[in-house]
Amino acid sequence: MSAVTNLMNRPSDQSLVEMKQTFPCGAGKTAVVTAEHLSKRFADVHAVDDLTFSLEPGTVTGFLGPNGAGKTTTLRMLLHLVEPSAGRALVFGRGYQDLERPAAQVGAVLEAADFHPGRSGRDHLFALALALGRGAKGGNWFLERERAAAKRVDAVLDLVELRSAGRRRVGSYSLGMRQRLGLAAALLGDPALLILDEPANGLDPEGVRWLRDFLRGFAADGKTVLVSSHVLAEVAQTVDDVIIINKGRLVTISPLAELIARRTGAVRVRARGAPKLRANLESEGFQATLLDGDELLVEGAPSARIGEIALRAGIPLAELVSESSSLEDIFLELTTEEPS
Amino acid sequence: MTDQLLAEVRKMRSTRTNLGLLAGMIALILLTVLLNGFIPKAHELMTHDNQHALLSAGTSAALFAALIGVMAITSEFRHGTIRPTFVVTPQRTQVITAKVIASLLMGAAFGLVAVGLSLGVGYAILTIRDIPLELETGHVVWLALGTPAMTAVWAALGVGLGAVVRNQVFAVIGLITWAMVIDNLLRGLVPSIGGYTPVGASAALVADPADYVLAAAAGGLLLVGYLVAFVAAGAILVARRDVT
Repeated sequence: MSAVTNLMNRPSDQSLVEMKQTFPCGAGKTAVVTAEHLSKRFADVHAVDDLTFSLEPGTVTGFLGPNGAGKTTTLRMLLHLVEPSAGRALVFGRGYQDLERPAAQVGAVLEAADFHPGRSGRDHLFALALALGRGAKGGNWFLERERAAAKRVDAVLDLVELRSAGRRRVGSYSLGMRQRLGLAAALLGDPALLILDEPANGLDPEGVRWLRDFLRGFAADGKTVLVSSHVLAEVAQTVDDVIIINKGRLVTISPLAELIARRTGAVRVRARGAPKLRANLESEGFQATLLDGDELLVEGAPSARIGEIALRAGIPLAELVSESSSLEDIFLELTTEEPS
Repeated sequence: MTDQLLAEVRKMRSTRTNLGLLAGMIALILLTVLLNGFIPKAHELMTHDNQHALLSAGTSAALFAALIGVMAITSEFRHGTIRPTFVVTPQRTQVITAKVIASLLMGAAFGLVAVGLSLGVGYAILTIRDIPLELETGHVVWLALGTPAMTAVWAALGVGLGAVVRNQVFAVIGLITWAMVIDNLLRGLVPSIGGYTPVGASAALVADPADYVLAAAAGGLLLVGYLVAFVAAGAILVARRDVT
């Protein structure tokens, strides 16, 4: 609730005040992004197939899936670049194209290379800032528009630490600089939602850490981030929630912590008194399966707890192996099996 | 809409594309004027038609102007900037309209430079060679006003063509092939329809004395018809096609 309140109280942004009127948040958090039975067919390929999810304000959500899973197509449908074959994609409760000054509410980085190489980074941002306009307030005189745009451009260049390179042609930028320029463009309108498509692709470790810190700070202000990746580990330290898709269909949607807990509980125990240990574990509320004569698979219990229980029962342990799979294992497991 | 227009003008100013086109146009016009002005013998230059050829060299600006419009839209598709452009302005027709207006302005500016060069240098050559001006005042006025009008229309038409084709290389090759080859062949071989091609209609606008050419007003209207057709087709296709 606090995140919503934060958003609603920002008096500077007229559009968000309007949102409050349209979407009272009495019944809980207003969804920032909603996909309802979203589908897209390209020729005979189902790029996205009946995808339904929503994002709450103030969260960083990882949008995950292998290459070709339909992530990019979904993000483009959210931004009205790709027309859905069926279903709806809503941002702040409306179609993107129906938003008032959409780029003042939503920022997007879709490709690392969406720049004219012969244009300076500053001019790239300047054209976008002019197109974004300055809303209802302020004068309409040409120079006033130019001045307002210049101010915003300099502010975002500072924010992504690109001020000194602003007047250079983008063709001379490193990949990391281009990524930051793309982010600067997304931030021109001071949006409450950021949509990033594979932003960490090609970034060096320093760049990845910079991006992670930036996104955490962005979300800490009550704003929302949807970031796609085909590598779970890349975003694991950044995201609160994950949406995993595969072959265009939803595989799972859950808080990251739950995803980890759900899959890492298994511990394999070998002990001569396995059946007795099992009884003890079950009386403590853990689930244990007898695998072999002296082997148990225990779920939901940390290894330390199992050791304690065994010690109290006087059962010597021959082996205690945590079967916990790495994040990447979980991801692979989820995305290689057919989604149900 | 003003915002989008300012943005498009900024885009045009911030790459070297249009400077290159301007330089190319100036070089070609100067070359044409100098060749048409100094190669013919003095008595040959006394004829009305040859003086028109000399003083209307600026009309070759039309091709350069069309390239302004073609580049304005196809370079966005080529470099992917169309994505941030449409994210900021999802009303795609507004973007196309802004590009059309920006191109009209830029095309008109090219036309003014072009007609200034061809009339100025051409008239200077006639004066140096002591050849009296054979063109009547009305004809010169048509040249002076018709050239920038024509280049403005061609630049805007280029946006429509580029929006239909999207691929920069194909659009540029298609434009040049039409203007330099096919249209020329049509006007040379089938004059009965030669007056109705885009280049034929443009010739009317600068009072070209060739006999297949329509009246100035009719040619101008026809040219605007081509403009509307191309821009409408481009705008409709851009609005309907996915941006992937």
